[in-house]
Amino acid sequence: MLEIKNLHVEVEGKQILNGIDLHVKAGEMHAIMGLNGSGKSTLSNAITGRENYNVTKGDIIYKNESILEMEPNKRALAGIFMSFQYPTVIPGVNNTYFLRAAVNAKRKYNEQKEYDAASFLKFVKSKLQEVEMDSKYLKRAVNEGFSGGEKKRNEMLQLLCLEPELAIMDETDSGLDIDALKIISKGINNYKNKNRSFLVITHYQRLLKYIEPDVVHVLIDGKIIKSGGKELALELEEKGYSWLES
Amino acid sequence: MNLNDYQNEFNKLIARQSFSSNLYPFRKDTFHKFLDSGLPTKKWEDWKHTDLSFLNKNIFRISETHDALSDSIDVSKYKIKNTYTAVIVNGHYIESKSELPQELKILTNSEKKNWTPKNKKETPFDLLNTSLCDSNISIVTKPNTVIKKPIHILFLCSGKDNLMINPQVNIDIMASSSATIIEQYVSDTSSFFQNTSVFASLGKNSSLYHIRIHSNSDETANISNLYVSQRDDSTYNYFQLVDGGALQRSDIYTDLKGKNATCSLSGLTLLDKKQHSATYITSDHIMPHCVSSQNFKSVLSGNSSGVFNGRTIVRQDSQKTDSKQSNKNLLLSDQAIMNSNPQLEIYADDVKCAHGSTTGALDSEALFYMQSRGINRKDAISLLIRGFVSELLNGIENEELKNHLFVKFDKWLLNNNQ
Repeated sequence: MLEIKNLHVEVEGKQILNGIDLHVKAGEMHAIMGLNGSGKSTLSNAITGRENYNVTKGDIIYKNESILEMEPNKRALAGIFMSFQYPTVIPGVNNTYFLRAAVNAKRKYNEQKEYDAASFLKFVKSKLQEVEMDSKYLKRAVNEGFSGGEKKRNEMLQLLCLEPELAIMDETDSGLDIDALKIISKGINNYKNKNRSFLVITHYQRLLKYIEPDVVHVLIDGKIIKSGGKELALELEEKGYSWLES
Repeated sequence: MNLNDYQNEFNKLIARQSFSSNLYPFRKDTFHKFLDSGLPTKKWEDWKHTDLSFLNKNIFRISETHDALSDSIDVSKYKIKNTYTAVIVNGHYIESKSELPQELKILTNSEKKNWTPKNKKETPFDLLNTSLCDSNISIVTKPNTVIKKPIHILFLCSGKDNLMINPQVNIDIMASSSATIIEQYVSDTSSFFQNTSVFASLGKNSSLYHIRIHSNSDETANISNLYVSQRDDSTYNYFQLVDGGALQRSDIYTDLKGKNATCSLSGLTLLDKKQHSATYITSDHIMPHCVSSQNFKSVLSGNSSGVFNGRTIVRQDSQKTDSKQSNKNLLLSDQAIMNSNPQLEIYADDVKCAHGSTTGALDSEALFYMQSRGINRKDAISLLIRGFVSELLNGIENEELKNHLFVKFDKWLLNNNQ
């Protein structure tokens, strides 16, 4: 599904990632753990193709194809999704309208008939229930006036509507109360299947109580310095990160 | 066009027999004041951002009777559904193409012998309008009358000659009456200069919904002065859309002369190429317990430039004033320039006043967010611009008018997001 080879990424002239190797197979869930500034978000931004995240060396292969030259929207259409750490507020753009534009872009790409307003509403209402979100949020502007938890639910709603094959959850647990955390985790667990992979980026072990990663990686100074099973997360919780730093 | 050229045009106008002779000294006096002041230059504080070279390098002549083009002109494409229409072609009211309601008293050029042009302020363009004014329309409601269907005043400039048109519009909304008036400026000429003065007077407990649409062709200059005077408990709602013209300037003066009056001014300016548009507002709170707001947005692309200069004065006796000013601007190119200057002058102590201004490029975070959901860059840009303007356009209550303005916006967007 996703193969990252010796990835070096520079942001505004500063080297952040120093040779990442990562292989996520279809149906796997990988967790990337690390302290602030270790390069976790840079990794997710590089995979999704954000501007100013310059790959200076290495490659990102998705479904056997290098995606480095692909526009962000093409990557999304190919099945990559990122749940943002800080979802962007877009004043004036209605949430339903935005979501329908995104879903229809995907349907067009898949050569499916695009949704009209009425059929989309029916489609989105079923997804709303899964994230236990009130339909009033559909009427607002994208993420405008949403609390931290509501924003993350809205990200989850987008994920469910767009049906990606590779979902990157960037610090999804930050800013979430325990109830919202449970709902999001349930959403992730229900969504995961043998064809869908997750890359879960997190600072704390908290989220990993509810979802079970197949592999846990520890990122320090832009390099994966240790990989292991889910017990590695527990070990980090207990000992902190310092024992891994040289 | 220099002052001699203006003098020649004035001589032509004054030689006409159709105006009352007692107007002659007044016009002459006004025109001399215009000659004394001359056109504004960039050294004038309120004109430092507005380049008038378009007026200086072109020669315009005043409109003659034969410019009315009553028979040949087709106004159907400019009509707005479910409105009354007053058609003015090259400064001439065309009765045969107009349809107006019974409840209104409409005075047009036919009554001109008894008519005196108004002259509120003595700015050069006011003086020019008063001295060269060759056409007017007065709309007077009866008291206690609600006119539901909007009245569309269509100013159309057409033909091959460079015309200079100085119309005046008087709107009197009598006590406890209400009306919606749409002023629209369109043209298919290569070049013209329109200098309009509009006077709106709102009686006690009356309301006026006033929409102005500036959609002239590229080689046009449109200067307009708008004076609004409000009595107790009246409501004035103004919205302007500017999406055409080489040079467009609106000076708006609103006087809140009665208690509990509300004055809401808003506008959307869409500019491209080398267009320039400036909006200068003075909202004067003369009486207490009044509410005023200014909410203006601009989207600028190409080498265009814009000005928002909103001034709110709260006089010493105008306690309990509630006043807001907001100006937000979106720059789509590095060459576009916006000058934003909201100002508050407060002399009373128990008031609520706020102002804010932002100018910036498209939000790159929002663009990436949309792209990361599979929306291509072009569509994401369109969504963002639409989001920026829709707050204002959605505020228009009349559905047909709202659709009309959205269609105009979509057309502009199509040309400016390729």
